[in-house]
Amino acid sequence: MRVVRHGVLAAVLVAVGFTGCSVEQTLPPPHCEQSGSGLIVAQSVPTASQLPCLTDLPAGWSFATVRINEHHSTITMDSDRAGEGAAVLRFEDSCDVSGAASVPSELPPAERYDAIEQVRPSFRAERFYVFEGGCVFWTFDFDKGVSATESVAIGDSLALVSRAELQQSVSESFLDEEI
Amino acid sequence: MRSLARSGSIVTVVDASTIDTGQRRRRRPSGEPPPLPHEFNRAAYAWLVAFVGFSALWVWIFLSDRPAIAITEWDLALMRPIVDLRTDWLDPTMQWLTAFATHWLNPLIGWPTLVAALWFRRIRHSLLLIASLSLVNGTVNLVAARILRPRPLGFEIIGDWEGFAQPSRTIANLTALAVGATLTLVPLTHRRTAYVVTAVVVVVVGFAMLYTAVLHPTDIVAGATVGIAFTLVLFRALAPESVFPITYDGRKTAHLDVDGARGEAIRLGLARQLDIDAVDVRHVGLEGSAGSTPLRIEAVDGVLYFGKLYARSHLRSDRSYKLWRTLVYGRLEDEQHFTSVRRLIQHEHYMLHLMAESGVPVCKPVGIVEITPDREYLLVTEFVNGGVEIGEIDIGDELIDEGLGVVETMWAAGLAHRDIKPANLMVEDGHLRVIDVGFGQIRPSPWRQAVDLANMMLVLALGSSPEQVYGRARERFSDDELGEAFAASKGVTLPSALRRSLRQDGRELLGRFRELAPARRPVSIQRWSLRRVGLTLWVVVVAVAIASMFISSLGDVGLR
Repeated sequence: MRVVRHGVLAAVLVAVGFTGCSVEQTLPPPHCEQSGSGLIVAQSVPTASQLPCLTDLPAGWSFATVRINEHHSTITMDSDRAGEGAAVLRFEDSCDVSGAASVPSELPPAERYDAIEQVRPSFRAERFYVFEGGCVFWTFDFDKGVSATESVAIGDSLALVSRAELQQSVSESFLDEEI
Repeated sequence: MRSLARSGSIVTVVDASTIDTGQRRRRRPSGEPPPLPHEFNRAAYAWLVAFVGFSALWVWIFLSDRPAIAITEWDLALMRPIVDLRTDWLDPTMQWLTAFATHWLNPLIGWPTLVAALWFRRIRHSLLLIASLSLVNGTVNLVAARILRPRPLGFEIIGDWEGFAQPSRTIANLTALAVGATLTLVPLTHRRTAYVVTAVVVVVVGFAMLYTAVLHPTDIVAGATVGIAFTLVLFRALAPESVFPITYDGRKTAHLDVDGARGEAIRLGLARQLDIDAVDVRHVGLEGSAGSTPLRIEAVDGVLYFGKLYARSHLRSDRSYKLWRTLVYGRLEDEQHFTSVRRLIQHEHYMLHLMAESGVPVCKPVGIVEITPDREYLLVTEFVNGGVEIGEIDIGDELIDEGLGVVETMWAAGLAHRDIKPANLMVEDGHLRVIDVGFGQIRPSPWRQAVDLANMMLVLALGSSPEQVYGRARERFSDDELGEAFAASKGVTLPSALRRSLRQDGRELLGRFRELAPARRPVSIQRWSLRRVGLTLWVVVVAVAIASMFISSLGDVGLR
C-alpha cells in the first residue's frame, strides 16, 4: 500500500509538472494551413464576415497566449528583439478607428487604418483591418531602439479568410451546421 | 446489536448470542475475509474507469474525425429540445447561471474550502485540493488542445464561454471543488447529502449551459468525469478517511469510532481470535491518550479487558512524532519509525511481555486481534479494575517507593518507558500499575533513562512533596544519578500531559528538585549529527517548496 501511495504521489508531481497546471487554456492559434482554433475564433465573433488566421511567424517571434471567448479573440506574441508581448492581435465585432489614418489595405476586402503613437524611443502603434461585421487589429509596443520594420514582418503573418469559405469547408468535412 | 450514546461517548452493546461461538480461536481459512475487510472504494474506481473510457475516445477522435462527427450529431440532437425551450423570460436566468458558473463558482467554493481546511489544520487536504485542481486543469488543457472541439454548431450561443468545449473546464472545476470540499470538510455521515447537493448543482449548471448552447452534453459528462475521477482518487489514495477522518466533535483524530462496522468487527475478532464474548465495547481514558484508541471491553462473563486499537493514523502520528523528536533532540533520540501497524503493535506487545518478565508492574497482555490485516489491530490486556490515575490521589511513602522501584527495575533490565506521566501510572488496590508501554525502548541512552527517573519523581511529587520524594529516592539512587536526572530534564523532555499537570499544580517542582539534587552541568540534548542536519534541511526545503507551490498554484487554478 505504501508503494501505491508513493506511486500516486510521484504521479501527481510528474503530472503537475508536465501539464503546467494552468487554468489558462493553452490554445493553439488559428493557423491558416493546419487545424487549430479557427472554428472557435469564428464563433467568438459570429457577425464577422472575415476571420483572421496566421501563417508561420517570422524568425524571433513566438506565441505567448491565445485567449478566445464569447466576445473576442486575443493573441499575444513575444519577440526576442521587440520584447515580451510586443504584438497583440485582437479580433472583435467593431473597432474605434477615429484618429487613425486610412491607408491602402493589403488584405482585401478589409479596409486598413493606422494610428502611430510614437516611433522613437520605442515604436508604439495600432493597425486596424475593418470589414463587414468585425475587425482585426494589431497593437505594437516594442522595446526601446527596435525598428518599426519588425511590425511589418509580424504583420505579414496575418491573413483573412471569409466565413463563407470556412462554412463550406466545415459543411463538407465535418457537419452541415452553421458556424 | 444496538448502538446508543452515553455521556458523550459511543457505547455499542452487542447481543452475544449473535456471535458464532461454535468456531472459537480458529484459524481464518484462506479466502475468508478478516473481521473488517479493507474497503475497496468502488466509486473512485468507477470514475477512474469512466475517465479511461473517455481517454480512449479522445485518442480515437485525435486520430480520426469519424467518431467526432457521430458524437457531435448525437450531442446536437440531444440538446436541440433544450435549446428549443428558449423564452424571453428564461434566457436571462440561464445566461446568469452560465456566467456565474464560468466566472464566480470556483472562487466561491474554493476559497471558503481552503480557509476552512487551514482553520481546522487540514494541511494535507488543502494541498490535495490544490493538486487536484492543478491536475484537472492540466488535463483539460492537454485534451482540449488536442481534440479542438468547437462550441455547439448550428445554434446561437447566448452564454459566456472561453476556449474549447471538451472537456468542460467549468464543470471539471466545479465537480473537483465540490468533491474536494466534501472530502475536506464534510464528515462521513453527511457525505451522501453533500454528493446529492453537488449532483443537483451540476445538473442545474449543466442544463443552463446546454440551454445557452455553450456546451454539448458530452462536454459536461467529460468535464465531470475528469473533475471527480482525479479528485476522488487523489483523496482516497493520499488522505483516506480511515487515516484522516473528518470530525468536529472535539475528539482527537487518533480516536476511532467503535460503533457500526468497526464495533462489530472488534467483537467478532475478540470472539474468534481470543475467545472473548464482548457485550460492551466503549472508549475509555481518551483524554490521556493521543497515540491510539483506548477501549474498555466487557465480556459476557463480567470480566473487563483493556484494549488499544491501532490503525494507520496512529502509525502516521508515530512517524511525525519521531521525526519531530529527531529534529528537536538530535542524536540521542535518533530512532526509526515503525513501517507498519503490525510492527507497531508487535513492539508494544513485546514490551509488555518484557516489562512483565523484568518485574515492572504492567497489565498482563491477553493477545492481539487482527481487525484489518496490516491496517488495524487491537492489543488486549487485563483491565486495571477500580484503578485511579495517580494524579488524582495523595501519594504516600509506599507508592513513592513503588514508583521509584519501577524506574530502578527498568534501569536494571536495560529498559526505558519514555512516556511517564500521570495518565500512564494507575493505582489499583493501593499499588502502582504502569500502562502504555508503546514508547518503551530496550537499551535506551543513559540520558533517556535519567529522564524516566526525573519524570517519575515529578509525577510522584504532584501528590506529595519534592522533599518527600527526594528523600525516598536517595535510598535507591546515588546523588550522582539524581543530579544527572534533573540535569537531563528540561521542558521539552517532559510529556505534554505532565507539563500540563505541573502547570496546574502551581509549585515549582522541577526547580525545587534541582535545588535538592547535587549541582551538575545540564546534559546537552542538542546533539548534532549529519543525519540530523540533513533531515532538518530536507524538512525546511520541503516545507518551503510546498508553501511556494501552494501559493503559486492558487493563481494557476483560478483562485487568485
